[in-house]
Amino acid sequence: MDDQLTAAVLTPEGIRFGLRATDKWHAVRQAGALLVELGAVEPAYADAMLERERSVSTYIGAGVAIPHGTDAARVLVRRTALGVLAFPDGVDWDGERVLLCVAIAASGEEHVQVLSGLASVLMEPDQAERLRTTTDPDEVLALLGRAQDDPAHDEQESTA
Amino acid sequence: MTTIAGADVSKLVIACDAGMGSSVMLASQMRKRLKKYDVAVEHVAVNAIPSDAQVVLCHSGLADRARGTAPQAVVVPFQVFMGDPAFDRVEAAIRDSGTLDG
Repeated sequence: MDDQLTAAVLTPEGIRFGLRATDKWHAVRQAGALLVELGAVEPAYADAMLERERSVSTYIGAGVAIPHGTDAARVLVRRTALGVLAFPDGVDWDGERVLLCVAIAASGEEHVQVLSGLASVLMEPDQAERLRTTTDPDEVLALLGRAQDDPAHDEQESTA
Repeated sequence: MTTIAGADVSKLVIACDAGMGSSVMLASQMRKRLKKYDVAVEHVAVNAIPSDAQVVLCHSGLADRARGTAPQAVVVPFQVFMGDPAFDRVEAAIRDSGTLDG
């Protein structure tokens, strides 16, 4: 696990709890505003996130959506960064209930490791529940930054 | 309609609209599932599918665009990002050397 890489892409400042949204568009706008606030994107990127959401929903399952911009909007990304937004009351997402949004601004590939971590967490119901309900930024970072079932990592542990 | 034998698949491409979100997550999952086989798994934007992609997994809403940019490839559409039977179909075809078409 590369803590530095994870830290650079997702920081405690980019993790927000206890948010409310009237609908998914409101949630996507908050996700865009967070990326702007983090200095990761130009303000117009937030509009591209709405556009992207209109073409295909970014709901990925397990109560999580991953709003992000379009391929054309990559030019509006200043640096690759992620934001995590928790909506404890849930947001209606075309009939699905979203409790957590992971906002994505990517100009390169630096976020791949964290998104792989997210995919792994969501495959494990207990971990997914922790991710959706925790209010501790360190726990979010720990869940998303953990080793990705890396065989080399397992070998190191078994020979230690 | 294009067809390929599972044993001939050496490059699987996961395409999404922007190539920065869902395709990244799905590629990491498929890479794990196909670790035992000699298959490269990449994630790209649907408008940038490489010409040597043999099999393309993409959301059903993007399948027509994927077929437009990658006419040589077998395009396998899916509906949901987690647990879609399309993922099992691709893995089974590669594992058992069955055929994939789409």
